[in-house]
Amino acid sequence: MSSGSNGARRITSLLRPSNLDSGVCRSCQGTLGRRNYASAATATAAEATTDASAFATTTSTPPFPYTINAGVVLSRPPQVTRDLEPFEKAYYFYQKRLNERLALPFTKYFYFKRGTPADEDWKKKIQERRTPARDIGKYNAYASDSWNDELLLGSKEAEPDHQVEMLVQDAESTANATSQDTSKKEEIPRPHSRVTEADKKGDHKSLNRMLSRTLYLLVQSKEGYWKFPSTPVETEETLRQAAERTLSQTAGVNMNTWMVGFHPAGHHVYTNRKPHVDKTSGVENLGEKTFFLKSRIMAGQADLSAKEDLKDFKWLSKEEIQSHVLPQYYSYIKNMLADR
Amino acid sequence: MEAALLITLRGASLRRSHRLICQVSVFGLHVTVPTGQTIFGRDGPVWMNFRVQQHFIIHKMAAREPSRYLTRAIPRAFAPSPRHQAFIGRRNVSDEAPTRRLSDELETASSLTSRVSENTAKSFDPVSRASARKSQLPRSRYQFRSPKYDRGPLHPHQPPAPSDPSSRLFVPGPFSLPRTEQTYNATVASDIMTLCYVHTPPGFKPPPKAPRLREWDDSSPYHKNRPLRGPRGGDVLRLLRKPIRFNNIPKIERITVHSYVKQAAQENSSWIHVAGIAIQAISNVRVETFKSKSSVATWSIAPGRDTVAVKAELRGETMHHFLGKLIDVVLPRMKDWQGIKGSSGDSSGNITFGLEPEHVALFPEIEVNYDMYPPKMIPGCHITLHTTAKADKDARLLLSAMGVPFHGKIVQ
Repeated sequence: MSSGSNGARRITSLLRPSNLDSGVCRSCQGTLGRRNYASAATATAAEATTDASAFATTTSTPPFPYTINAGVVLSRPPQVTRDLEPFEKAYYFYQKRLNERLALPFTKYFYFKRGTPADEDWKKKIQERRTPARDIGKYNAYASDSWNDELLLGSKEAEPDHQVEMLVQDAESTANATSQDTSKKEEIPRPHSRVTEADKKGDHKSLNRMLSRTLYLLVQSKEGYWKFPSTPVETEETLRQAAERTLSQTAGVNMNTWMVGFHPAGHHVYTNRKPHVDKTSGVENLGEKTFFLKSRIMAGQADLSAKEDLKDFKWLSKEEIQSHVLPQYYSYIKNMLADR
Repeated sequence: MEAALLITLRGASLRRSHRLICQVSVFGLHVTVPTGQTIFGRDGPVWMNFRVQQHFIIHKMAAREPSRYLTRAIPRAFAPSPRHQAFIGRRNVSDEAPTRRLSDELETASSLTSRVSENTAKSFDPVSRASARKSQLPRSRYQFRSPKYDRGPLHPHQPPAPSDPSSRLFVPGPFSLPRTEQTYNATVASDIMTLCYVHTPPGFKPPPKAPRLREWDDSSPYHKNRPLRGPRGGDVLRLLRKPIRFNNIPKIERITVHSYVKQAAQENSSWIHVAGIAIQAISNVRVETFKSKSSVATWSIAPGRDTVAVKAELRGETMHHFLGKLIDVVLPRMKDWQGIKGSSGDSSGNITFGLEPEHVALFPEIEVNYDMYPPKMIPGCHITLHTTAKADKDARLLLSAMGVPFHGKIVQ
């Protein structure tokens, strides 16, 4: 297509009266005004009557009475799986024992060559625990008392910690029994604790706390209110750019973050008790509206030293946020926070 | 206010932050309305059409709030709203439920928390008690046996549900809460919903689309009663991609592991047995075998003669564990593999890639007893990740969020 026709179309689109709604934001008006060829042909007749009045209203819009803020919900996703409920532990354990009873017998010869040290080790262990599974305790699924598959009160077998310990001990004893070098004891490292130093000390500033939960960055203003970092959107700036700027200005640049998309995930409206009137221009300000963009932290740590009007920061889970922020603020933000 | 309303408030108030619920009776028509909403009928506010006879009762839950907000809130509740609003009888999640609590619906007493005296707990030994019994009950008194054959719905001896352990169809499980499932639920799903959000401003009408199946133009009398024509440019009618919202976030539905072993036809059947065992070992699922459908003369394969392929279909917990192993153990250890090709996919949200035999051997289940597999007989396989996404773009977004790498030119 030649550029001439393109230019002509652009000019006609400028001349065409607007059918925009003054209640819709500027970027969305582009979406509303856009039409394709099919709809344009059908719509022209209907629009002709209404366009003139709509055009008149959009020419002079009063300034928006609220301050628009861009907020950042910076979060650290869960690092480990969650703790199981007591019911879940019991259920999974019972299903494992049921599976022992119903599954075909373990094909030992496929896994252990006859006469090898591994085979000897296997024979010894199966004598002890009566079952090939290493995490269901001592249980013989094929004996006459295999009906006794439920745990007694206070038994440890269903606890994940206990199961992990059993697996590690089993691996250690196998490694010791099958290794050539008998002088040295094989040590298999245990998994790290799910409760960290920061949890024990109650350090809310550490990113190593509450590994199984999503943590959110909250900052405390001079007045003592906790909230997500937010700043007013400047002119000629998109919400996403404003959110990125907010993050670097409030929490410093010493973080590796990823902004999730270009759209806000939640909002908060604060209306002043009485509208603040600007003395010089006479413009009324009714309050502020904050739009929150989601962001994830990959590495680094927040640093508030550059920002004077913020006192403190914390990494908090959803329940802790509820006890820190005002109830009205929480009612706005709670639905964009992850349950875990 | 357009009409006279007789309002009775019982020690209650409305506050801005709370969307309280009032019961409104209009001519005996009971509806639940959050405050701040205007009740609209089809042609305007309800009270313009009807004379409101009855009274408003603010629920008892509102009685907790102090009443100083009342004078401000009441006029707002009845102010005409600038936006057209439907007749609202729904409750939002953000509303506080009036009186229902979890304890009303769930039994609070749990067998896991109930207290038993220590002596009772210590002395309880089911095995010795059973062996001390002088006479055994007959089996039929304590063990239910599911009927072997289905004799129809009118037969008195009906089989139990398949979820019952006494059913012959019972399959135990699940045994764990997989890591990948938890990651998806806690992190990936909400991120995808945010990423795929498309904003449509109020008053937006999507431009009309051409019908997916085209009509015949009736230029010929033979067009009568013909089925509609397929889309232009090809016969394939692509899946309809709907906007991604909370209820259709793409998720991984199932994984298919498929292995085609041509030597099973050329040499002997041991190849298909080894392939079956290897695929079963890595997938934790019984494999199905397939005969060749097509003829490949160079491999001397004739249709329907030889069993040449095995397939395992993974769902649920097994699938999540397989995906976790693939992402965390196997794929990172594959040498000189950059990722799934960006052009992979069937354009309806299913991504396929292949693993060489040496890559299949990296699965921990095969590694533990690698020596027991006959040398060089471990098969390669094709893995298809079926997602509920309607387009490959969404499927790749989901999979890369789960940790599956992609490389090369991404073809949408």
